[in-house]
Amino acid sequence: MAAIETFYDVIRRQGVTRRSFTKFCSLTAASLGLGQTAATQMAQALETKPRIPVIWMHGLECTCCSESFIRSAHPLAKDVVLSMISLDYDDTIMAAAGHQAEAILEETKEKYKGKYILAVEGNPPLNEGGMFCIDGGKPFVEKLKWMAEDAMAIIAWGACASWGCVQAAKPNPTQATPIDKVIKDKPIIKVPGCPPIAEVMTGVVTYVTTFGRLPELDRQGRPKMFYSQRIHDKCYRRPHFDAGQFVEEWDDEAARKGHCLYKMGCKGPTTYNACSTVRWNGGVSFPIQSGHGCIGCSEEDFWDKGSFYDRLTKINQFGIEHNADEVGLAAAAVVGGAVAVHAGVTAVKRITTKHEG
Amino acid sequence: MGIQTPNGFNLDNSGKRIVVDPVTRIEGHLRVEVNVDKNNVIRNAVSTGTMWRGIEVILKGRDPRDAWAFTQRICGVCTGTHALTSVRAVENALNISIPENANSIRNMMQLALQVHDHLVHFYHLHALDWVDVVSALSADPKATSALAQSISDWPLSSPGYFKDLQIRLRKFVESGQLGPFKNGYWGHAAYKLPPEANLMAVAHYLEALDFQKEIVKVQTIFGGKNPHPNWLVGGVPCAINVDGNGAVGAINMERLNLVTSIIQQSIEFVEKVYVPDVLAIGSFYKDWLYGGGLSGKNVMAYGDIPEHANDFSPGNLGLPRGVILNGNLKEIFPVDHTDPEQIQEFVTHSWYKYPDETKGLHPWDGVTEPNYKLGPNAKGTPTNIQELDEAGKYSWIKAPRWRGNAVEVGPLARYIVGYAQGKAEFKEPTDEFLKKLGVPVTALFSTLGRTAARALEAQWAVRKMEHFQNKLIANIKAGDSSTANIDKWNPQAWPKEAKGFGFTEAPRGALAHWIKVKDGKIENYQCVVPTTWNGSPRDPKGNIGAFEASLMDTPLADPQKPLEILRTIHSFDPCLACSTHVMSEDGQEMTQVKVR
Amino acid sequence: MTEATQIHGVLDAHGEKAAELQSVYVYEAPVRLWHWINAAAIIVLATTGYFIASPLPSTPGEASSQFLMGYIRFAHFSAGYVLAVALLLRIYWAFVGNEHAKQIFYLPVWDRQWLSGVLYEAGWYAFLVKRPKKYIGHNPLGHLVMHLFMLNLAFLVVTGFALYSEGAGRDSWQYKLFGWVFAIWPNSQDVHTWHHLAMWGVVLFVIIHIYTAVREDIVSRQSLISSMISGERVFRDEADK
Repeated sequence: MAAIETFYDVIRRQGVTRRSFTKFCSLTAASLGLGQTAATQMAQALETKPRIPVIWMHGLECTCCSESFIRSAHPLAKDVVLSMISLDYDDTIMAAAGHQAEAILEETKEKYKGKYILAVEGNPPLNEGGMFCIDGGKPFVEKLKWMAEDAMAIIAWGACASWGCVQAAKPNPTQATPIDKVIKDKPIIKVPGCPPIAEVMTGVVTYVTTFGRLPELDRQGRPKMFYSQRIHDKCYRRPHFDAGQFVEEWDDEAARKGHCLYKMGCKGPTTYNACSTVRWNGGVSFPIQSGHGCIGCSEEDFWDKGSFYDRLTKINQFGIEHNADEVGLAAAAVVGGAVAVHAGVTAVKRITTKHEG
Repeated sequence: MGIQTPNGFNLDNSGKRIVVDPVTRIEGHLRVEVNVDKNNVIRNAVSTGTMWRGIEVILKGRDPRDAWAFTQRICGVCTGTHALTSVRAVENALNISIPENANSIRNMMQLALQVHDHLVHFYHLHALDWVDVVSALSADPKATSALAQSISDWPLSSPGYFKDLQIRLRKFVESGQLGPFKNGYWGHAAYKLPPEANLMAVAHYLEALDFQKEIVKVQTIFGGKNPHPNWLVGGVPCAINVDGNGAVGAINMERLNLVTSIIQQSIEFVEKVYVPDVLAIGSFYKDWLYGGGLSGKNVMAYGDIPEHANDFSPGNLGLPRGVILNGNLKEIFPVDHTDPEQIQEFVTHSWYKYPDETKGLHPWDGVTEPNYKLGPNAKGTPTNIQELDEAGKYSWIKAPRWRGNAVEVGPLARYIVGYAQGKAEFKEPTDEFLKKLGVPVTALFSTLGRTAARALEAQWAVRKMEHFQNKLIANIKAGDSSTANIDKWNPQAWPKEAKGFGFTEAPRGALAHWIKVKDGKIENYQCVVPTTWNGSPRDPKGNIGAFEASLMDTPLADPQKPLEILRTIHSFDPCLACSTHVMSEDGQEMTQVKVR
Repeated sequence: MTEATQIHGVLDAHGEKAAELQSVYVYEAPVRLWHWINAAAIIVLATTGYFIASPLPSTPGEASSQFLMGYIRFAHFSAGYVLAVALLLRIYWAFVGNEHAKQIFYLPVWDRQWLSGVLYEAGWYAFLVKRPKKYIGHNPLGHLVMHLFMLNLAFLVVTGFALYSEGAGRDSWQYKLFGWVFAIWPNSQDVHTWHHLAMWGVVLFVIIHIYTAVREDIVSRQSLISSMISGERVFRDEADK
């Protein structure tokens, strides 16, 4: 086998000068919100490390994560795949199929034991013996666990792998299960979103390849660098929220002026993601900018919180859908009614006992 | 010894069995098994959808206005098309009309998907079935340049450009880390391109990868993100404000200019790279006309891209509508989504249960109860399948039929229907394409025909996008900035019970959703999607589906490396996540078997 | 909590005789002050909280000249701080204050007498018992409800600060102290919902609280409303006889 080439070798022989290489590192560092020291570190990492093998597996999913990944503008998906990682297995784009594809998994597991990254898109269903998702004649969950055994770390792409997403929405007929419920003994980086933003995906990958360590994660296992603030915190329509200026109905005057979508059910105030800053598709827009509220797609079980157009979450506990105000008002009415009756009975009793006395 | 199927295929499963699982470079999970005779010609084909997600089960009891978001997650590759179908179904059920601008914007979003999907399919999912990446290393950059310049005036075509690329490719291969190109069937006898054509195709593979992310920005501008943009029942969520106060908060001149610019770039890429490439590659494979399958017999298209809002009659649809049976191009049958006798789904060979499995059910009355069991002659165990038994149940895909007929759907089906209707916008480019290749019209009924129709359609779609962009601007100029109709936004304005359907032509073919609404909630939801039609297993009468039919009688150069199977299956652009999620009236009764 | 004797006078927790007194000093000044601060804070919190979840009609003009939602939220957060700080001080007072200051912070579930007292009081409210017993502090049922209310209040404070930490940021002390809430409900939409529901719990409490206070004042002949102003619990029937 030929010597394993580093990222620096790769770009140098592509005719990239030392100078532009350093500039690339600075820009990437800046886009990650990191300083010049980090850029130097990054440059060094790229000069000396071979490309990390990445195994990208698909469970129950819709492939929107892969589609998002190839939308990355910086770095380009092409450069990630050709120069930064070694994407040895990804059923969506790989040339090999069938036995030849399966063979790659075995080879990677053996040759790069403890050194490869397992990227998982989608999740395993556990019902029906796992056969709601069959891969190579076997349940996907088996293949997933098997490949996880020798992985260095696992990336959970998107809401499916991180939280369960749409197939895990009630009643979750296939018992689709987020991967951290199936794999317990490996570090898992959750990159939620349906899908995650392209540059967030490539940002996470390049962070690992450049710094040689996993990004710092928050309590929910998400990289802090992209998921520590809500859409709301950095939303350009926030001034309208603070001012109390809302879109009251679709296509009204306020909608045409770009006022806050809070009343239309926007989930920006409860959604941790980088949409309002990194934005989508090379920074062209993000849902709120294009007039629709955030549906909270990077949050756990966002499918089961009532309509995307409701401000208040629906509560299903009592069999009927209601929000907190409806439940509260009903309870208050019951209690208020009870109090009134009680007061009446008390008054009657009091009069009658007085008579007796 | 063979079995004659009612739709005219002679099946013989006595020869050697070849299994391809997973079939890669598709969306989702698919398995293909074939039997080959002693000359390595496929005599029996079995295609199996190997995933099920139950999205329609999940939709029950939810707000119809939310359904688009759920159904959109059926597929992230053809992102948006399920959402569009869903809002149309809801609008049809609740009798909601949408403004003209919303129609133009929706069409542009759908067409952008069409172009994007076809482009990515050709270069990133399909090209490696025709293009030998390793062979590109031995190409002469000068000759490659000459070839590229002879087919198109695309500027990236200098000898130096191809030389740089070749060096990058060589180093990549020599690094030993082949990434996605690892274990491909390189050097396979079925690859026919000269090294120069391979190098050019590899260059365009990478250029297309860079460019595809531009096209989808049309969806991002109007829908906020891609994949999975936002939609709205009653119109589109983006408001238009071209020159009023606060116009920067809406679709304004800058946004419209961005759309125009993307459309112009897309026209250029499709016309100068994609279409010429398909022609050039096709010219080396015009003798390999296998894979026709059902296309020469039964095809179906629903039609799409309404010129005017709220009118889904065939005359108002840009894409053709109709069914052709038994290859008779002279008679085109109309499609009626509401007729219980027309579209029906069967489960005899699918892992579902019906009370009477000899009968099919119309989607409005669909039943789905998972029933996973292998046929008696399957090899292996239920959780470790070696070989399937196609005499029993063998797929998570149901078998939809139109009046009992298995049909093919997709770009080729649309072009055949359009061609048969004699519509110039479909017939003329097709004839021209065939003439350039020097093949007869029957050559369309092939793997290559499917690939060609997709390229021609991308060109049609990108021009149509331009048309709707102009139409949108003209309408705004005429003083109409409306994008949403909110008369029936509030569920109080809905009837107690309603049912409806919506359809589109997804990149992969005819797509429809059926919905029943009761008390403001979804009572039943059904999707019958393109890959369900194409990837369907056998029906009770023994008709084989389009995937299976297309593999029949194809010779394999090397059964250990079944490149030809991949090539033909890929020509359908399968989308398995789409195909396998049918639902039930009583879908809650799922088997609860836990592993370990 | 201590049961008052049926005839002449009442007992406190230590069994000391208080028979000669017609009134007992129960609620010390800090407790009374806390009560009324709480009442005011709750009115502000419930009202502003409601309008945060369901905002008022939009304001006209430019965003830069308006701050309605901002002020509503500011009022909510300020009142929240007042309530939280008052609660902390009140807990402190439970340690240094008199016997009655501790009562609502624990439930003597091990005390059979107390438990039967709860049943007895429930019977009194269900009109099954003719005469209520007299207590210097809260009667056992009232004690139970007060304790539940304290838990509800604590829940509101904890979830309130957790939600506040979302805006204050991951480096804020609010997140460090209360961020664990999101380990229970990873989607903060749920925390909003629970916070909102707990507010309705407070509304229910207020209805019952005011009603029973007024009722007891009249029917059971022991002062409640004025007690929270003067601190004195007056047993009126003693005076009658």
